[in-house]
Amino acid sequence: MGSERVHEALLVQYLLGNLSEPEEVQVEDRAFADSDYLGALESVEADLIDSYVRGGLSQSERRAFERRFLTSPSRWSKVEFARALARVASESRESEQPAGSTIVHFIRGWNPALRFAAGLAALICLAGPSWLAFQNATLRSRIAVLQEQRRQLEIREQGIRRQLGEEQTRAGALAQRQEPQSTGAAALVASLILLPGISRAQMQVEQLVLPPSAQIARIEVQLEARDDYRQFRVELRTRRGEEVLTRSNLPRHRTISGYAVSFDVPTSALPAGEYELALKGVANPQALADIGYYYFGVRKQ
Amino acid sequence: MEGAARQKWTLTQEAFDGLLATLAPDRNSAAERYLDIRRNLVRLFQWRGCPMPDDYADETINRCAKKIGEGEEIRDVASYSIGVARLLVREMGRERAREALPLDAAPEPRVLPPETKEGQEARLECLSRCLSQLPPGNRHLILSYYQGDKGDKIKNRKGLTRLFGIPSNTLRMRTLRVREGLQLCVENCLRLRGGNCL
Repeated sequence: MGSERVHEALLVQYLLGNLSEPEEVQVEDRAFADSDYLGALESVEADLIDSYVRGGLSQSERRAFERRFLTSPSRWSKVEFARALARVASESRESEQPAGSTIVHFIRGWNPALRFAAGLAALICLAGPSWLAFQNATLRSRIAVLQEQRRQLEIREQGIRRQLGEEQTRAGALAQRQEPQSTGAAALVASLILLPGISRAQMQVEQLVLPPSAQIARIEVQLEARDDYRQFRVELRTRRGEEVLTRSNLPRHRTISGYAVSFDVPTSALPAGEYELALKGVANPQALADIGYYYFGVRKQ
Repeated sequence: MEGAARQKWTLTQEAFDGLLATLAPDRNSAAERYLDIRRNLVRLFQWRGCPMPDDYADETINRCAKKIGEGEEIRDVASYSIGVARLLVREMGRERAREALPLDAAPEPRVLPPETKEGQEARLECLSRCLSQLPPGNRHLILSYYQGDKGDKIKNRKGLTRLFGIPSNTLRMRTLRVREGLQLCVENCLRLRGGNCL
């Protein structure tokens, strides 16, 4: 550990330009020959930048840093990044920090009843600000994620609408062509598209309406970009947990709005009621990853 | 890059082909070696405080290619290029010394141009977005590793080596890679937003 400290101090001096030419050459040659040493140098550089943005350098170190280090736009970017990271890390730390130990020592001298009352009061006083600090640190992250999700869903929705429009146009044309020969012919296939996000969160239950003529129900589960598996498995069960069917080794296929997994179910296996569909990604033959749970209802016409 | 700007010689296709042929017999391996060498040169010029490390790296490579084109036999281009780079650094030092000003007329050390409030907000938003895309373990690692100052930081890092069950060097490298990836993600995010980093 001691030698490591000396070694890191040498690297700091190198980065601040405080070594002689032969010493600089030595550090550089070792860094180019030894990837661990190069990693250590880069790591020390990151720590040095952090110390600079947190005001942890002495005046002479700070001047050396500004003269020697802040020389190129790529290093300015590193410093700005470190500044942002320090802010987020410190917000995250504040949200985790426990109450001060000095107060604990002081309270230890009190009698148990008073200690209990003080503890309760302190808990009430601390809970609010801690919660706010935690919220502050995580809110920004959540907003960014939600904005991104909303954007993805909007893109997906536009794609699905476009797909639906095209399907309707195609179906209309087909119906017109078939009308003379098959008047009164009814649909044999009913379909249901399950979208990620809404169905997964169970906020809205999709309905699969089965006309009397339908023999097959085609269920398509839209995937998100992160659902990047080569094969998928679906498990369909009633809301009471009775297994209806399981399909394994399903590939994903491309749709206008991204990727989806589709499978067919005989309508005879789907009495009216509520269903749960579990979608799993097959990472390897031994490992299944839960992707999401979808809920839908089946209604007979 | 005053010293380098005086160099009249520019890299020709023939000289570049000669350089690649010296690096490796097949062109793909040669291209990889070329990129490695250039990356190390950029690092060296950054470490030495050069304002335009990429330009200096290119100038170094040009000089190596020129020597090869002139028929000089270079067995280890990587080491040779580092030697040329150090000569360039010395040239740069001499030019700076020639332009030296009296102390009272010397400029103040460089300070970072202040980032606008909008720029800072955009960067924080991008950072939050990129953090949210990290696996939870890496997110916890990057936020915890850089917390605290001096003693706190050391204690904190010891705790992390225990938590992750890995040696401190491995932890350091792992965190560094996460940090580099995160910074790249933030810069891409800012570029996509059309935001100005600086």
